[in-house]
Amino acid sequence: MIRALADDAVSGAATGAATGAATDLEIAALLWWAFDGLLALGLLGLAYQVVAGRQLFRSVVLFIIYGLLMAVAWARLAAPDLALAEAAIGAGLTGALLLSAYRNLIGTDGEEGPHAPITPPAGAPPMTVPRWAALFAAALAGLLVAGIGWVAVGLQPPEQTAGRLALEQLAESGVENPVTAVLLNFRSIDTIGEVVVLFVAFLAARVVAQELDHAGPGDWLRASQREPLLVGPLIAFIAPMAVLVTGYLLWAGGHQPGGAFQAGAVLAALAVLLRLTGRLRPRLEPTLLERSVLVGGVVLFSAIGLAGAGLAGAVLEYPPGWDYRLILLIETVLTLSIALPLALLFSGSGGLRQEVR
Amino acid sequence: MTLLYTGLAVFLLLNLLVGLMRVYFGPTAADRMLAALLFGTTTVAVLLLLAEAMALSALRDVALLFTLLAAVVALAFTRLPRRFKGR
Repeated sequence: MIRALADDAVSGAATGAATGAATDLEIAALLWWAFDGLLALGLLGLAYQVVAGRQLFRSVVLFIIYGLLMAVAWARLAAPDLALAEAAIGAGLTGALLLSAYRNLIGTDGEEGPHAPITPPAGAPPMTVPRWAALFAAALAGLLVAGIGWVAVGLQPPEQTAGRLALEQLAESGVENPVTAVLLNFRSIDTIGEVVVLFVAFLAARVVAQELDHAGPGDWLRASQREPLLVGPLIAFIAPMAVLVTGYLLWAGGHQPGGAFQAGAVLAALAVLLRLTGRLRPRLEPTLLERSVLVGGVVLFSAIGLAGAGLAGAVLEYPPGWDYRLILLIETVLTLSIALPLALLFSGSGGLRQEVR
Repeated sequence: MTLLYTGLAVFLLLNLLVGLMRVYFGPTAADRMLAALLFGTTTVAVLLLLAEAMALSALRDVALLFTLLAAVVALAFTRLPRRFKGR
């Protein structure tokens, strides 16, 4: 009798512990739901305000915050490579670019500047679309998105996806980070294409560039303005750190999230910082060194790829045993070839020169 | 412990979303910009909590990047002319 009671008590305690664990799991799932829901709602609300807001400066600030939340969203999707890229581009480049563009729009006296948007003359018809037409277009677009979503949800998931195939072949790629393996080995032709796109974007920006006086964020120092006291120490602290983090991300790309693109973006952000504070000044034409860095990544990547035709049996195939070394070499040069066009695009000039003080 | 991290992350995110009111209503440009800079710090905290809760150590690197690059936007903001309407 007593033994039976004791057994009951033990099993009761065990059940109690099991329910406790289940509740913990349920609470965790609930919390993740709350987090993801808040994140999604925040992103949608911010995106709407960025586009529909009437105040330009508010939209710029909201877009900067949108970049922060977007990085958290990539983190929640377990995509740290994308979160790193979003952080480097969003915090290092886009915010400064938008604020500099805004500065050119308002001019130096706080009134509308020389680059203010053109307002239509008084007699002209309003440039707005009638409400019914906007609603009609929105309804059509909504139907299209819903239709595509409906078809996509109904699709059978494929048995063999490219991602699974890449993970199976990871050991042969020479690196341990699957993203780097895909970017620099399995699908390196796409990566060459992307670097070419960046270079072409720089060339296109050169075609429409303004005179050097108005390029990019302009000079820091005017006759009447002195540099704030803390800028010097801040740069002295951040510049070496940024170089260190660039090297770290480049090195990390081989075995954990990171790589040439993130590293290049951090280096470009450092150039943005120096350009904003007048330590780098615009120059009309790139020097020979800058030209070689601009095309260096594409040239080296293509040369190694073509050499693979003779040494490894296929174009863009690495000779066996050389994968890791060649990938690291290509990534190092790519980092510079990505950072420089990004920096020059921000600067709005063909080249950069150091400010002599 | 994971539960605590997740709960704190939700709390911080909620804080950020409520704080968006300051960005929305302003009234001055500095109010908006300071709120955005504060949200940068909040995001760093959220990412560090997520790194533990999701057991994804690479998220610490993301937090590191936000910390390193927070000054860029702040410096770009100080380049705006002193007297502007902040619209």
